Amino acid sequence: MSSFALERDVATQSRVIVALAKRALRVQLRRAQFLLPSFLLPLLLLAVIASGTSAAQQLPGFPSTGSYVGFVVPGTIMQGTLLAGLMAGIAIAGDIEGGFFDRLLSAPVNRASIVLGRVLGTALIGVAQAILFLSVALLLGADFSGGVIGVALTILLAALSAAAAAGLGATIALRTGSLSLMQNLFPFVFVLLFTAPAFFPRALLNPVLETISVVNPLSYVVEGMRGALFENAALGSVWGGFVAGAGSVVLTCLLAVWAMRSRVQS
Amino acid sequence: MVTPPSSEDDAAATIIVEQLERVYPGGLRAVDGVDLAVAAGEIYGFLGPNGAGKSTTVRILTTLLRPTGGRAQVAGYDVVKQASQVRRSIGVALQEAALDPLMSGRELLQLQGALHGLRRGESKRRAEELLERVDLVAAADRLLNTYSGGMRRRLDLAMALVHRPSVLFLDEPTTGLDPVSRSSLWTELRNLNNEGTTIFLTTQYLEEAEQLADRVGIIDHGRIVAEGTPEELGRLVGEPGLYVKLLDESQSERARELLAVHGAVSDRTAGGLTIRTALGAQAIAPIVRTLDEARIEVDAVEVENPTLDDVFIAVTGHRADADVAEPSP
Repeated sequence: MSSFALERDVATQSRVIVALAKRALRVQLRRAQFLLPSFLLPLLLLAVIASGTSAAQQLPGFPSTGSYVGFVVPGTIMQGTLLAGLMAGIAIAGDIEGGFFDRLLSAPVNRASIVLGRVLGTALIGVAQAILFLSVALLLGADFSGGVIGVALTILLAALSAAAAAGLGATIALRTGSLSLMQNLFPFVFVLLFTAPAFFPRALLNPVLETISVVNPLSYVVEGMRGALFENAALGSVWGGFVAGAGSVVLTCLLAVWAMRSRVQS
Repeated sequence: MVTPPSSEDDAAATIIVEQLERVYPGGLRAVDGVDLAVAAGEIYGFLGPNGAGKSTTVRILTTLLRPTGGRAQVAGYDVVKQASQVRRSIGVALQEAALDPLMSGRELLQLQGALHGLRRGESKRRAEELLERVDLVAAADRLLNTYSGGMRRRLDLAMALVHRPSVLFLDEPTTGLDPVSRSSLWTELRNLNNEGTTIFLTTQYLEEAEQLADRVGIIDHGRIVAEGTPEELGRLVGEPGLYVKLLDESQSERARELLAVHGAVSDRTAGGLTIRTALGAQAIAPIVRTLDEARIEVDAVEVENPTLDDVFIAVTGHRADADVAEPSP
């Protein structure tokens, strides 16, 4: 391919990705059953945790982050982004069952662009979730010593987390093509969350969960958010979070593109 | 590098299918050696009951499914090796008008424009043109979940036209539509065809194929069992009939004897005779003259051309609207 043709192709595929991301955002935000789990459920859990379980902070080994809400809000962001990823998978399965996916496949569009459009749309939802949850945490008394830069890095990590979750959701949806199966994956979001130090520091997880948390990339992302929000490397490495987050995005997107290719060829 | 069509014959045909096969995992042979060719500018009606292999063939021709045998070329490109070029050349409206219910007609058209590489401004202009063409300007900003079946089909067609394709694939475009919506869609398809678009149309409705198609292929159990113009297929059933209704029923025996010179005569109703003749409508005048000379008064004469329904039953042994044993994929 000549460099001009390559440039033109990259520009075309970029337009496709942006158009599909806009569609993903627009449709998800018009769907009430999406807003409830992705935005309201994590907020409810944050409110419950803030009011009911802040005594956990008194446990030996619990790091000092000012308020418990401040410590927990990265877990809330993680919960929201995982649910947004699941909703992305549900939306893809809905497109497959409803036939809209065939419309995408019959257009002269790179298969990867179809996945990336959905992933980008979900990443933007992750940004909106992070801004909302961090604002609520501030209202509930959190104090982020990492300042604006810490908040910005956390938002970026939220985008990566949402993108990786969307890649995973897309992979499962494309492999199975089943809307009902996707809808039944809801509990697994909590398995992923509780096998990462989302609500408690790693040191306070029971030995089994602690072992699993070592291989769960979400652990590094959630700790990276804490490290950024409180500018405290002892809480987690920000770069570790970015490496785990970006690695998960690449891996899950590759899996999703592979799942898409096998779907078309089957 | 894209290989151009290989011969003059191939260049003349927009769709070439040779020994096409598709066997699903599990052994279902949905398409079993289909051969067909569709010329540029033609409307080809692909007729068959549910599960006969129509939709599987269309999915292969539109690059949504790979064949397990044979080959197919659309607009000069191989559907497997040059799938991307095929997608640029075709417009596709598949069964059930799969449209996102939470998007508006305008949003969907603009999205389709972006999928086909149109820039934002161009995509917006094309969307406006098409909304006007399919008479959906007033409903353009309403969400699809408020559209009627006819409106959805019209939008579906408009979406297939965004990039001005040379070949249009329509999979049962009027299934479930009321007669008025169906007729308006037929008019639009005729207009498109007059503008030069080749149309490959699958349908269960014999009337639709008769109304629209230049040629018809009948598929049953994954194989083409008959192909030709509707008239040619009609001849497979036999000669056309002329139904003659007499004013006086008691004269039918005499009329039957006199009309035997024009063709095979059979009684259909009391005082009504059917004469099978290759001359078809041209035999009306001599038949009426014969009866008039014998002072037998005629109440009415009707030409009874064989319908595709008759053809379908003749070649498949069952009606077109029956489901065959295999489920549709």
